[in-house]
This record gives sequence, structure tokens and C-alpha cells, in this order.
Amino acid sequence: MRLIVHNMLTCNVKGVVNKFPLKIVAEKVVKKEVDFNLDFLWHMLAKIEWKALVDGARSLGYSELPDHAEALESNESFLKKFHHALLELHLEEGSLVCKETGRKFPVKKGVPNMLLHEDEV
Amino acid sequence: MRDIKVKPTHQQKQEEEEEEEISSSSLSVKSTPEIEKKYVHRVYDAIAPHFSSTRYAKWPKVAAFLESLPPGSVILDAGCGNGKYLGLNPNCFFIGCDISDPLIRICSEKGHEVLVADAVNLPYREGFGDAAISIAVLHHLSTEERRKGAVEELVRVVKPGGFVLITVWAAEQEDKSLLTKWTPLSAKYVEEWVGPGSPMNSPRLRNNPCFGLESIPESDVSVKEQKDLESIPESDESVKDEKVSNQQEYFVPWHLPYHRAEVSGASASALASGLAKKDDRKGAVVYNRYYHVFSEGELERLASGVGNAMIVDRFYDKSNWCIVLQKEALNQDH
Repeated sequence: MRLIVHNMLTCNVKGVVNKFPLKIVAEKVVKKEVDFNLDFLWHMLAKIEWKALVDGARSLGYSELPDHAEALESNESFLKKFHHALLELHLEEGSLVCKETGRKFPVKKGVPNMLLHEDEV
Repeated sequence: MRDIKVKPTHQQKQEEEEEEEISSSSLSVKSTPEIEKKYVHRVYDAIAPHFSSTRYAKWPKVAAFLESLPPGSVILDAGCGNGKYLGLNPNCFFIGCDISDPLIRICSEKGHEVLVADAVNLPYREGFGDAAISIAVLHHLSTEERRKGAVEELVRVVKPGGFVLITVWAAEQEDKSLLTKWTPLSAKYVEEWVGPGSPMNSPRLRNNPCFGLESIPESDVSVKEQKDLESIPESDESVKDEKVSNQQEYFVPWHLPYHRAEVSGASASALASGLAKKDDRKGAVVYNRYYHVFSEGELERLASGVGNAMIVDRFYDKSNWCIVLQKEALNQDH
């Protein structure tokens, strides 16, 4: 699971208000290089919840992202860090934790399982 | 399915209220009904590798939709199955989800970004996707509320102005001989049936005992009849005479060859529990998949009920009803 996906995921348990973002508990992180695509990064900058990305990257062992993204869109060094955090870090094993309920969603072999139990729906 | 209201008798009204209380309080629309657990989820889990090996041909209409999207689009595929469409447009970023872990594993091994999730309750925040697709998924949902819920989810997760493509199996099949291989569902499955929207869920029918899975002879329920759905006459006690002949609920068989079934392991328990049967003549374990096939106009009616989306295209192609929705753009102040 890459941070681009984490930036979208929510806890869907019934009644939960603080459903995003999920806290990452990382057990195994893998880095895989991906081609840099400037247009795609600019497109994603508009969608990404920045703080969630920064915290998520930190949980995966990457702390180079600045706390704010404004005014940095043309800065090459910033964009490379953004690219790396968004697309090149993979959570292979670990869990995603709901900040309100503590509910853990497992991530196994890079795949999160977000299915709820009967009583959570 | 249309809701046709007929003035109920006092007794029928009481029974309906009781039953609605039971069905709405015990299960929310996001809760998975038994019929889907047994005849959709378990089946796909058991047949995943074999199913995936048969799913490779890219449907031109879906490919055209995906190729029409701007480069850099984030495309959400809800019910992605074996990931056939993930990455089809190499300029876009696909995120797939499916309720079947074995199918998702197959996607993941191909390097796609996927997760295990429920199409009726997508764990996604609103408006992240540029587009979404739902290819041959909604016909596995057993109530109108759940089908509508899935459409609402698809619209919710795309950005304002974003497009959604939905395809479902049509009741009007081009190859009519296919229908003879399908088992129409009858009131025998009423215990597994959930939801006030179902024509089967009437107080009268609930009193019939449930038997095992049997093929229903054509004389009882005509599979070819396309009559309008009518409310069940309250005076009529006989199941045979009921006018629920707008047959859209089916079990469609899947033949899993013995050599594949042994590898899967899931078939042993499926056979033991009666969920699947052996067909020695064909050398296969036969599973049944639940389908609610859509009649003409039904998908449109379902989508029209979603307030913040417009239908921008609709078509019938290769025995599927298809629709493209566009989510309302944000209000511009003048």
C-alpha cells in the first residue's frame, strides 16, 4: 500500500466521526522506484491532504517532507520528495488504525483489508 | 424494481409493519445478506484462480471509457475482480477494491494498488477519484437498497464533475439459450432474502418452509416472461398462482474442474455443506452464483434516485445494461 492510497482511506465503522486519516503502524516497508511525472504530481497536490501525507511518511520512516506544501509547487527538490513519499514507499506489513476507536485494519503483503464485522456496520 | 402500492387490509398492514420492523432493525443496508455470503462471496473465493483465467478479454466499451479519461486521472474500480481493467490506461492511476481476498491477491501479484473492501461501504473519503467504474458488480447485490447504496458510493468517491461507468447483466440476454442453464429463484429462498424491496418478502411467503437447492421446473416459473411486477394478491394462498413472474433473480452455475477444485481446497467444505455439487459427467464441482439481472430502464431508475449525479450516457451492449453518470459540479457563485 502506497501513501497515495492511504491518503484516501477512512474508517467506515458506524458512528465514527474522526475517520480520516488512519494511523499507520508499520512492520515492513519496501521502497520501489517509480518514474517521475510532473503533471501527475501537480494533479495530486490538489487532492492530497498534506498533514496526513507527512504523518504517514514519517510512520514509514521518511521524514523529509516539509510541514506545508504551499509555494513549493515549482521547487524541484520538494517535488522529488513529494514523489518519493507519495509513490515509492510501500507498506507491506502492518496495520491502519482508526484514531477514534483504535480499530485495526490489517495490511498483509501490501494489501489492506478494510472489511467490517457485522456489528460495525 | 417498481414499488406498486395497493391498499392493504388491516391484517396485511399489521403483518407488513411487523416484518418491516424485523428486517430494518436487524440489518442495515450495509450488512451483507446471507444469500450474498453463500452465493457470491464464498463462490468467488473458491473459484478465484479459475475465474481469473477466464477473465482476460477487455470489453471495448469499458476500454473506450477508460481511454477517454485525461492523463493523470485517479480511477477507482469498485469490484475489480481479477484486476482486468486496472492499468488499462497507462496514463492513469488505478486503485482497485473487491470483497474477495483471493481475487485481490491475484491483482496484487500483478503489481496493482488494491485493497479488500465492500462496494456498498467504500472506505474512501469523498471526492478523491477522478472517475470510478463498476463492471459487472451490482447484479450480485440482492436488494434494491444495496444496489442503490453502491451507486451512491460510486458517486460519493469521485470529484465534482467526475464520471462513473456502471455495467450490469441484462434480463434481456442476447443468447436466450443461456437462460435455460440458469436456476430462477423462488420463494424457497425467502429465509435468505433480506430487504423490504424484494417481491419475495411478503408475510404470506415467509410462512413457507425452506427446502434445499433444487432446480425449478420451467412450468412453475417461466424464465422468459417479462411481465410487470404486481403486488401479491392478499387473498391468494397458493405460491403457484402468484404473479411474481418478472423473473430477475437467478443462480448462474460455475463449473470448477476437479483438478482446480482440489488445489483450491475450499470445495471440500462447499460440497460437504451442500453449497456446491459434483458433476462427474463434466468432471467439475458446480457452484451457483446469485444474480439479480437488470431489466430495461432499471439501472437508469436506480441512478436517477441519486440526487447529485446526472445520467450522461446509457446503452445496451453484449447483454449488459450500461450507464455513465456525472457527479454534479460544485456551485459557482454568480
